[in-house]
Amino acid sequence: MFYRLSGIRHTRYAAARQLWPIPADRWQVGVLLALACLAPVLFSPFYLLSYLLPWLIFTAAALSLTLLMGIAGQLHFGFAAVMAIGAYSGIHLVRAGLPFELALLGAGLVAALIGTVFGAAALRVKGLYLVMATLAMQYLVDWVIINVPVISGGAQATLQAPSTTFLFVPLATGVARYYVALLWVLFVTLLLLNIKRSAVGRALVAVRDKDYAAAVIGIHVVRFKLVAFFTSSFLGGVTGAVLAFCYYQAVTPEQFTFNVSVQLVAMVLVGGLGSVIGAYLGAAFVLLVPIVLTNLVVLLNDLGWLNASTNLLSHIPLMIYGVLIIGFLLLEPLGLGKIYDNIRKYLLVWPFRHSDL
Amino acid sequence: MKHIIKRLAIVAALGAALGSTPAMAEKAPIKFATPVDFTAVYTFLTDEYSQGQRDYITLLNEQGGVDGHLIELSVSDTGNQPQRGIEAYNRAKRDGAVLVDFLSTPVARAMVNRVNEDEIVMITALHGRGDASQGEAFPYVFPVMATYWSQAALLADFMNQQEGGLKGKKVAHVYIDSPFGKEPIPVLEALSKDLGFELKTFPYASPGNEQTTTWSDVRRYKPDFVIIWGAGGGQAVSIRDAIRNGIKPEQIHSVVWLAEADMDAVGRDTAKGVRKFSPTVNGADSPLLKEIVGTVIEPGKGAGPKERVGSTYYNIGVATMAVAAEAARKALAEFGEPLTGEKLRKGFELIEGYDAQGLMPPVTFSAQDHQGGGQGRVVSWDGETWAPETDWHASFQDIVWEEINKGAEQYKKEGK
Repeated sequence: MFYRLSGIRHTRYAAARQLWPIPADRWQVGVLLALACLAPVLFSPFYLLSYLLPWLIFTAAALSLTLLMGIAGQLHFGFAAVMAIGAYSGIHLVRAGLPFELALLGAGLVAALIGTVFGAAALRVKGLYLVMATLAMQYLVDWVIINVPVISGGAQATLQAPSTTFLFVPLATGVARYYVALLWVLFVTLLLLNIKRSAVGRALVAVRDKDYAAAVIGIHVVRFKLVAFFTSSFLGGVTGAVLAFCYYQAVTPEQFTFNVSVQLVAMVLVGGLGSVIGAYLGAAFVLLVPIVLTNLVVLLNDLGWLNASTNLLSHIPLMIYGVLIIGFLLLEPLGLGKIYDNIRKYLLVWPFRHSDL
Repeated sequence: MKHIIKRLAIVAALGAALGSTPAMAEKAPIKFATPVDFTAVYTFLTDEYSQGQRDYITLLNEQGGVDGHLIELSVSDTGNQPQRGIEAYNRAKRDGAVLVDFLSTPVARAMVNRVNEDEIVMITALHGRGDASQGEAFPYVFPVMATYWSQAALLADFMNQQEGGLKGKKVAHVYIDSPFGKEPIPVLEALSKDLGFELKTFPYASPGNEQTTTWSDVRRYKPDFVIIWGAGGGQAVSIRDAIRNGIKPEQIHSVVWLAEADMDAVGRDTAKGVRKFSPTVNGADSPLLKEIVGTVIEPGKGAGPKERVGSTYYNIGVATMAVAAEAARKALAEFGEPLTGEKLRKGFELIEGYDAQGLMPPVTFSAQDHQGGGQGRVVSWDGETWAPETDWHASFQDIVWEEINKGAEQYKKEGK
């Protein structure tokens, strides 16, 4: 009923293989896209720049990481460092006189190169050992940024993002920055959706599930692991630059610490490994739920329903947040993306109970 | 959305309405926002600092506010995360705040461009960028108190006054390996040339729970004086390891971040003699603190436990809000209502020799100088409290300003 399937016949392969073969899905995507495009009109600048903008950028980061962790199965606990490389490279390249568009590419390339070097560890180690290797990357990059003044921007260790333009539009207004972020996250989303249904994607999944088996069926494991690290670090690097130019406007090493890496991993896990919609939901959960909870607790306190010290009031949101994470993962270990999927599958055959899809 | 402290303002408003001056409550409130870090990195001081700020604002509102305007202080938590700070800032901007204080270096740094663009005053007492003291490059940022550079200069000056001066002596700068820990090094290097002492730097890894190897290096260096530059739990570890390595407490000179709790961690008697930079008077004996105790704490309107009143970070919190309120007073007197961020900034720049009834050294701001003079004093731990070793003064401000101007020039060049 909600996802009407009867009467939908694909008469060409192209139609059957399109991204969203069911019209109901296409409608939803269309509505969401329209909402995203009209957001500057629909939402006040406050909500646009404090919630939507960071959500989109961190979604792009979570998507980049889920390509590596979810699809290719390579754990990465230093992704904030990859973004830091992108952010710093982007700013330095624009300062050196490169146009912003090229600087984004450059930021991605630098991050991809350094990320792949550390990713090379993945050729030898797996699982928790790979986590250690990527952790090393996090701390090394942090250390280099802090200790090399040419990178960090001198004694103050702050780099201001220079004003610049994207496709001839100056990035001076919040709306312009929002659209750049939107364009980027749409690009990453489409890229990931397409990777997942391409030969490369299937090869990465094979490597994830069992690399020996993948080698046996003729997949060049070394190459695909490096491809995964390169692509994911490239996307992460560009996302870092977008984050620096469109959101923070000034970068300091503290914006890319280990905590941020953990947050990114949490986004991917809470959203669901390898799930594209999960990255959106996970980023929203990890990024926005603490803010919303904080404001909710403050509101309750204003109404006089809560009476506690400021210290306790600040920690209550953290407790609820923790309980929520545990709750969601108990309810559905495969993440928020899977919860969405379950609901969709239920509605697909509603009022019947089972689907063969 | 309303905030915690609005309630305080309402209580005060009711008090004023029931009292003798009902007309006062009708003037538009002045909004300050302090989205600070209660839960992540700055926890060692945020509770006390914020309590001091809130108690001072309550006192002010009890006394009728600034020129009849009550002050609404909205307090929230950012967890030291820039994105949460940006959300809180945008919220404060929407709600019409004219002053913000984040008490977090990463958040404040991400906010510098925004406050200059939106014309909202940001105070960055003992955090943020030191070069923001240059008011022409950073019109809306006010470090308000002595920057880290001024603190380092003042400590070096103090050591120079000790037996025979610093000439030919060895000074060890032991610091947390972060931008904060490195910040004073250029000033110390310049001073080592001018005063003729030998400077060696010893970093330890963040967060500083473990500094054993660093301190054995320091011991081998046999310094005459030691500067410790860390914050939070690492400070007590530094002092303990220093003493364990045969360094006398009197040789240890600390950045501002050293409080009663750290002395408890080291042992109140063991730490006797340790020196630190102090930007305010300690204890609850100053006239302003007595007023707070009488008007706010004793009637039970305090924002937290009574024991904390007068503690190191509490007094710093009081001082920041006292300066902000003084700026609002000057701005309203000079430029009239309504109070905007721009008027408040000019109000700050009109402050001359304000010392919050003796709570802090007199501060004077100008369009160039947003640091307020860089004064402070050295205090030493006597086992019970911090005893002043010097009067309020500033040291080597020429060298400090060289550094400030260098940073500000770079900012101006790069920012646009």
